[in-house]
Amino acid sequence: MINRVLYWVLVLALQFFLLNHLDISAYLIPQVFIILLITLPLHISKIKQVLIAFAIGLLADFFVSTPGIHASACLWLILLRMFILGRQDLKQHEANKLPYYVNVVGLVPFIYTVTILVLFYHFYVFWLESIGAVNGVTFTLTSLFSSFFALTIISVVQFVSLRNSGE
Amino acid sequence: MQRLLAFIEQNLYLLLFIVLQIICGFLLFGLNPYQQATFTHAASNLTAASNQLSSEVTGYIGLKDQNKLLQNQISTQFQNSPQNSFLYLKDTFTIRDTSRRPLFDAIPAQVVYNTVHKANNVFIINKGSDEGIQRNMGVISSEGVAGIVLRSNSQYSTVMSLLNTDMKVIPNINGSEYFTELVWDNAETSHLKIKGINKLEEIEEGDKVYTGKSSLLFPAGIPVGTISKLTALESSQYFETEMVTATNFRKLTYVYVIINRDAELIETLLPDDK
Repeated sequence: MINRVLYWVLVLALQFFLLNHLDISAYLIPQVFIILLITLPLHISKIKQVLIAFAIGLLADFFVSTPGIHASACLWLILLRMFILGRQDLKQHEANKLPYYVNVVGLVPFIYTVTILVLFYHFYVFWLESIGAVNGVTFTLTSLFSSFFALTIISVVQFVSLRNSGE
Repeated sequence: MQRLLAFIEQNLYLLLFIVLQIICGFLLFGLNPYQQATFTHAASNLTAASNQLSSEVTGYIGLKDQNKLLQNQISTQFQNSPQNSFLYLKDTFTIRDTSRRPLFDAIPAQVVYNTVHKANNVFIINKGSDEGIQRNMGVISSEGVAGIVLRSNSQYSTVMSLLNTDMKVIPNINGSEYFTELVWDNAETSHLKIKGINKLEEIEEGDKVYTGKSSLLFPAGIPVGTISKLTALESSQYFETEMVTATNFRKLTYVYVIINRDAELIETLLPDDK
């Protein structure tokens, strides 16, 4: 339990204090914290998932002063996650109260789910942010580059956390 | 009921999702200035579009009443037009006491039946003898001469259209009256022939044809049509003249029946061979 709380704090700190202030390029604004929502334990009720997503989204909005944008995106993300996971055979993992980790569900389903959700999240967030001044090229490039950057960091975070847990 | 409650319970997370998304919407468009400006702009566009649509729909619904109102207004203006009035002195000693007395009345009517493809075309209007309409009264549209009343009952009247081989109107071209006839030869809708115009007359294609003063049925100056073709035949001293009617008979909907108030008085003064 302590490990899980520590994992959450570290990921949120990584996002809010490091990645949000990363000035490498205007096209690289990775949203890594969503891995917390993607890897939520499978047995958590849908209502709780929705509430957790809203709370994390509001927290993310608080750190970047974009009220409503991340909260809305997190809500959609959790709904899409329910839909995708509903099509995967996870009944046994759910009964064992396991989180949605790569070592639990397997590499291919995990990559499939994470890629879709990360791409969706970045496209949705940057679309909301660009309302009123949509520049198609900038929007697409930022969404794609940030998504792939986020996927890379998520892979590293997953690898590190699995290594630390000794699996 | 139990099923409904079970359904709601099963999908409570969706309701929660919708409520939270609405909250997000308020936050997004209420607290982010850029998104707020865009939302306000889009909302005002939407409001303007819906107002426009609403105005068009209500305008269309009221079109019939508006037509009647317009017809009545035109009718009143027609009666008060100086062109159609006699100016006479009430008091011969001072000109300020002059007034205009209308010579013609115009009764608005709607066409309920119309033919254009027969040799002798007629149309029926929804006003009859109850309104004072009688045989041999002129009928005009807002564009020009339309026909002459053939017969009436209490509610309706049959009008002989200009597109009728029996129709005879004396034309006035360039201010001169031609004692000839407009003839509908059943060749083409809206095209009439004018016979007996001498080649020496100074007329040309595009000249307007009006009603003259030699008719008691129509006020002078009502458009009849426009000369569309003028052919000088070598074997004849007359032009072969074609005219397009001012009135579009295919779309004839609203007309005015012209009542000459003094027709009977004037007729008593005319020679018998009028």
